Amino acid sequence: MSNENIKPKDISRKDLDQLFTIDPSKLPQLPYPYDDWEEPPMEELSETKKEKYDTSLDGAVNLAFPKVETKEQEDELVAKFLVGLRKLFSKDNNWTFLKPLILTMDNCVKCNTCAEACPVFESSGKAEIYRPLFRSDILRRIVRKHLTPGGKLAAKFTGSDIDVNYQTLSRLAQLAYRCTLCRRCAQTCPMGCDNGLLTREIRKLFSQELGIHPKELHGDGTIKQLKTGSSTGLSPIALMDLMEFAEEDLTDRTGLEMKIPFDKSGADILLIHNAGEFLSWPENLEAFTIIFEAAGLSWTLSSEMVGYDSVNYGLFYDDAQYARVTLKHAEVARKLGVKKVVIGECGHAHKALMAIGDRIWLQESNIPRESCMTTLRDIVMNEKIMLDPSRNDFPVTMHDPCNLTRSMGIIEPQREIIRKICPQFREMTPHGCENYCCGGGSGFAIMQSHNFPRWKMSISGRKKFEQIINAYTREERAKEVKKYVCAPCSNCKGQIRDIINHYDAWEKMTLQYGGLVELIVNAMTDVREGFIEWDDFH
Amino acid sequence: MAKFEWEDVCIDVDEDGFMEEPDQWNERVAVGLATTEGVDDLTEEHWKLVHYLRDYYAKYGIAPMIRKLCKETGFPLKKVYELFPSGPAKGACKVAGLAKPTGCV
Repeated sequence: MSNENIKPKDISRKDLDQLFTIDPSKLPQLPYPYDDWEEPPMEELSETKKEKYDTSLDGAVNLAFPKVETKEQEDELVAKFLVGLRKLFSKDNNWTFLKPLILTMDNCVKCNTCAEACPVFESSGKAEIYRPLFRSDILRRIVRKHLTPGGKLAAKFTGSDIDVNYQTLSRLAQLAYRCTLCRRCAQTCPMGCDNGLLTREIRKLFSQELGIHPKELHGDGTIKQLKTGSSTGLSPIALMDLMEFAEEDLTDRTGLEMKIPFDKSGADILLIHNAGEFLSWPENLEAFTIIFEAAGLSWTLSSEMVGYDSVNYGLFYDDAQYARVTLKHAEVARKLGVKKVVIGECGHAHKALMAIGDRIWLQESNIPRESCMTTLRDIVMNEKIMLDPSRNDFPVTMHDPCNLTRSMGIIEPQREIIRKICPQFREMTPHGCENYCCGGGSGFAIMQSHNFPRWKMSISGRKKFEQIINAYTREERAKEVKKYVCAPCSNCKGQIRDIINHYDAWEKMTLQYGGLVELIVNAMTDVREGFIEWDDFH
Repeated sequence: MAKFEWEDVCIDVDEDGFMEEPDQWNERVAVGLATTEGVDDLTEEHWKLVHYLRDYYAKYGIAPMIRKLCKETGFPLKKVYELFPSGPAKGACKVAGLAKPTGCV
């Protein structure tokens, strides 16, 4: 079916094997030195997987929507969905997000301003199925038909009827996983509608009522985190082994001897990292240690289950799982008796622990929570550590994690720091509240199964890569010029690492990536030169 | 659940080809799994990496930090990629019979 002809009502069509097929030649061209880059085609799923999972949306699979075999199974799926839909619109069952959901459902005037703001829509070459309104309009029509009196009759007359069948549900659920929940659409909407929130409500319905969710977020995500202590499977015992290594590593890199403090009851600060740092980016947690120790802060990490992993994937798909994880975080902080919790470089943990956490961290759990950006800003701007910016004299740009900036307005603290310590800092266009998502938002960065990695590199990550390239002059893009993209968020870091790999940008452009604290330590005069390593990409 | 079959090897694997039951691993399984990674010949260096991962996994139930792996085997990351082209997590861990790494790694 040709892209222009696809309409929301086609979502229920049983006669189409695939509603839309991505054509790599239609994707927007990247700037120099990628102006002759040919995007490889999407990978076909294997026949065995096709038998098991539905690929009738766009052929890509990250949700792994199970196939049904009988009419009874299809009816059961539809019935459960409709029960869930009613719950979504009832105060008792959805006290958390009912108001913004209704506002979004009722106020849209279909001006399509959101489409212009959506990086997935733009980077796909304006594929109709990724248009924000396409998804929300399907939900609106279903709600109007099934949840309003006389809706079924009205749907027939207005021609807006959408049959709720297996195809509709499978494609709608998968569509909810073609959006990174970056909420750029919500920011630009003149009516205050939030398509990102609506998308997340669809994910929530499928998770809470039908038990359908990506395995990376659920079984290998929140469930694993509550069971083993971390979504990475890192147990407290393994954590202590790795921290022993990190202390040695810190000494090797810097010549400094430091202990990483754990479980210090009554410390001022509980610092909580995304556990990805422990396994993939130890330089980040080592840098935090160096800065906090040099500034003389009273701080600690926790080695208690869940207390050492700030992630909360529930934020992306399920209110109940979200609440279970955040309650555990609150309990750890309460038991340690700290004055405040400082959240490390992880965007969604900021939102989970602070913005949304405010509704759960109540009474005795009402412990102040602070972004590491403000903690670090106080240290750097009040000159509690000695810095030599000339050590960072290479082109640096900064990626804004959506949850930190657009969702929470934390924009200036990290900029004050980076302007002070990086003489060649330059902004991306646009940035701050108007930033573009890395393309790995809402859990995409950790979805490495099936054929989805290609989709998130070619489509959702494309705009960010374009922005990164454009942050450097033509001359600076040369391989001989080493350059750094600062991404103060583990999820974004993982996505940008994969983008660099996909586009071979380390080999072609010597593009290195990392967090903010690494740049700070790289400029500290009390630390041996060369904290940031340029000899290898990782 | 998918099956991986190669010569006399028959094991349960997940959808990305990682072992479902890491306890069933043996060197013969590793040779078989390596073929899925485009590695037809496991050299002494491959085995050093694979055994390091196995030992760590047996002790801690997880793959080690990548930097630790590099330091303790003496292989820079570039070398790890030369040995296992899809990298330490997707390649080396798979051949060593570890579960697929999860979380923000």
